[in-house]
Amino acid sequence: MPERIRHAPLDLEKVKPAKMEIHLIKDECKGCGYCIEYCPKKVLEQSDEINARGVHPPRIVDESQCINCSFCSIICPDFAIFVTEKKNKEEK
Amino acid sequence: MTESKESKPKQEEQVRIGVYVCHCGLNIAGSVDCAEVAKYAGTLPNVVLAQDNRYTCSDQGQAGIKNDIKEHKLNRVVVASCSPRLHEPTFRKTCEDAGLNKYLFEMANIREHCSWVHLYDKEAGTEKAKDLVKMAVAKAALLEPAVEAEVPITRRALVIGGGVAGIQASLDLADTGYKVYLVEKEPSIGGMMARIDKTFPTMDCSICILAPKMSDAGHHPNIELFTNSEVSEVKGYIGNFHVKVLRKPRYVTKDCSACGECVKVCPIAVPNEFDVGLAVRHGIYTPFAQAVPSTYIIDMNLCLNKDGVIVCDKCIKACDRQAISFETKPVTEELEVGTIIVATGADVFDPTVLPNYGYGKIPNVITSLEFERLINAGGPSGGHLIRPSDRQIPKRVAFVQCVGSRSEKSGKPYCSNVCCMNTIKDSLLIKEHWPDTEIYVFYVDIRAYGKGFEDLYKRARNAGVVFIRGLPAQIVEDKKTHNVWLIGENTLRKEVYRINTDMAILSIGLEARKDSETIQRLLTLSRNQDGFFLEAHPKLRPVDAATGGVFFAGCAESPKDIKDSVTQASAAAARAGILMAKGHVTVEAITPITFPEKCKACGLCVKVCPYNAISLNKDLKRVEIVEAACGGCGSCAAECNFGALTQKHFTDEQIIAQIDAITENEPEKKIVAFCCNWCSYAGADFAGVSRMQYPPNARIIRTMCSGRVSQKFVERAFARGAATVLVSGCHLGDCHYINANYQTQKRMERLWKKMEQNGLDKQRLQLLWASAAEGEKFASKMREMKIMVDNVKPEEIEKGKKVFAKVLEAD
Repeated sequence: MPERIRHAPLDLEKVKPAKMEIHLIKDECKGCGYCIEYCPKKVLEQSDEINARGVHPPRIVDESQCINCSFCSIICPDFAIFVTEKKNKEEK
Repeated sequence: MTESKESKPKQEEQVRIGVYVCHCGLNIAGSVDCAEVAKYAGTLPNVVLAQDNRYTCSDQGQAGIKNDIKEHKLNRVVVASCSPRLHEPTFRKTCEDAGLNKYLFEMANIREHCSWVHLYDKEAGTEKAKDLVKMAVAKAALLEPAVEAEVPITRRALVIGGGVAGIQASLDLADTGYKVYLVEKEPSIGGMMARIDKTFPTMDCSICILAPKMSDAGHHPNIELFTNSEVSEVKGYIGNFHVKVLRKPRYVTKDCSACGECVKVCPIAVPNEFDVGLAVRHGIYTPFAQAVPSTYIIDMNLCLNKDGVIVCDKCIKACDRQAISFETKPVTEELEVGTIIVATGADVFDPTVLPNYGYGKIPNVITSLEFERLINAGGPSGGHLIRPSDRQIPKRVAFVQCVGSRSEKSGKPYCSNVCCMNTIKDSLLIKEHWPDTEIYVFYVDIRAYGKGFEDLYKRARNAGVVFIRGLPAQIVEDKKTHNVWLIGENTLRKEVYRINTDMAILSIGLEARKDSETIQRLLTLSRNQDGFFLEAHPKLRPVDAATGGVFFAGCAESPKDIKDSVTQASAAAARAGILMAKGHVTVEAITPITFPEKCKACGLCVKVCPYNAISLNKDLKRVEIVEAACGGCGSCAAECNFGALTQKHFTDEQIIAQIDAITENEPEKKIVAFCCNWCSYAGADFAGVSRMQYPPNARIIRTMCSGRVSQKFVERAFARGAATVLVSGCHLGDCHYINANYQTQKRMERLWKKMEQNGLDKQRLQLLWASAAEGEKFASKMREMKIMVDNVKPEEIEKGKKVFAKVLEAD
């Protein structure tokens, strides 16, 4: 349907996805970059810092973009990343 | 299907023409001496019988012709009476009944083109009638019998567009017993009607009356539904279309039970197009509750798995029936159909182009389509009309009419047909729910033209809706309250109004689909200046396209309401059904004949054919014609420089014979006029019917299209000393043969250039675009050209003869 959308959806609040928190265990990371490559929302990027294993672990760009698909934690060979839902009080 | 002349040896038999001059009571005899004309006809070559009678079209008159064909062994018949547009079919049938091929009949139009337009000059009228008979006899001598090609028709139909028109057309055809393929580009059928809350004038719930029809169409054994699909290619011709349909994948299989569990887990949320963005939908969704098919769909532009990796499997996990499959690929279906119904509908006008109304900037200015979704109980606000800024129910509401209709400023000069009644209905809906709401309707005219419409209008006024004539010049927002001020002039009271309301609803018009050009190109259709598809005849063939086997239904043809769309859909289904019931169609034998030995395979004819009916066979170095696809304009014959192609029944020889007949005597006083059958010839007929008087200089040669008029015809007329030449056709863009008259214009421009280069007065060649309704335009052209004829000097005519002398040698 080709109409241009000019007004915000009325039920936007109801469907807002929960806020997520990304946890990185930096020293476990071996710098394969899978999580960066496969994140559908491009939430991660490579950082400049060097971890215990001598590689660049990922860094969070914009945590609010995360939609909890958890693909990063599934694909990570070293169990160095996981996602949890933020608690309500933290949200504010 | 190419027909070459070699295969048909010309029968060497003596031409025996019978001429019948009709009195038509006093219609002709009043200003033409018919006995004199008949006497003259008797002296013409090949004429063995010439007589005048009172009413040739009467049973008695026809019986006479039949009898004469047998008794006098007539093998050509000429009737000089009314317009061939009126009685040619009658006399053709008479000839056929007597065993004479109907293409051996010719008519001279001495009523509309002679007696009725020269009522007070019997002498000149009689002379003109003689000339017209002479032309007809000259052509008749060269007529050849023809057999109409018969084309089989596939008994399957394609319906493009699954709105109410497409659904109705599909159901009608399917119930008749034909297989129907219904193609819809959205995920569900239903179209615009599914989005509307109530229908006028009966206030029925729109989706409640549509949903059963949608369901019927979805389950009908004769209907195959292709949703989320688009027609990508159409080849072939009437009765034999090869269609390719691209089916985009839904990524959800038919096992879907529409339980909606997947939607709950999908992390993607975007505005729902169905609700004009007023509600949210997810990456996996169904556009609305009553959707047919009810199978959900994944929006692959948004899905996290769009790059081919299953990143997110939440919907897969949520689906008990394992109906989600990311492996599905687009499929191209190939269909063979006999008829096509175009029911592609219309778009709504986008009011952001009118900055004075502030749509898109002022939150409380909405469109009528957004209103429909808000007032709909199944819509985003649960049926509460709320204004977007604070979600309160408004106490004062304004409707602004003609937004994107009847306005040059918005580029939409036409009336959109439905908005007046839609607003009246909407205002009553508000009054029904919240009776205390103040409602103002700003209008130009209220067009309540249909059955029950005026009653509804009256009801709205009685309910207290205030109608104010004069559209607001501007809508201004009150920044504090977010109310809107409407400022304009009340044209009845001649005073300026400033009215404050809680919200304003723009009653937006309908416009042609933005992608109509694709359909136009695929099916070689034409569109009017407003962008809607053009019918074959506005009165008598309102649902037929100019392309054979293609029909229109619904808003694709022009803006219309639901009732008219359904009516037209049933009409289109009936028209398509007639073709398919017959199982075959005959093509009038006015298609081209080729002479392969003369063909240079230059391909010019291929380029000018509006129907893509000619193709170049490079191996054999000749052109091939699909007769069934040919519309019969004759453009190809006019374009061929080598005489390798001519149009049956309008051959070069026949037209040249007519030109020669006109220019035999006193050519310096005559206008050689070429008129196309559909517009300018009909316009000249209309001048006759309306008894518009004009000077008797013109002799009209009828061609099917002005595109048939080859440059050499015009040159020949001048070479033989004609004072002036008129070429006339339908208005550009209105051509009966899609765009063939653009070729006419090109040829005339070439001729004008040539005349100028040779020092001739190019005014002597006139080009006129006149529609069938523009009799007065034709008559005034005749008057204008009479003055030109009087002013053309003999030296000028001699010069013209010399310049174009070459064309006479060629034959």
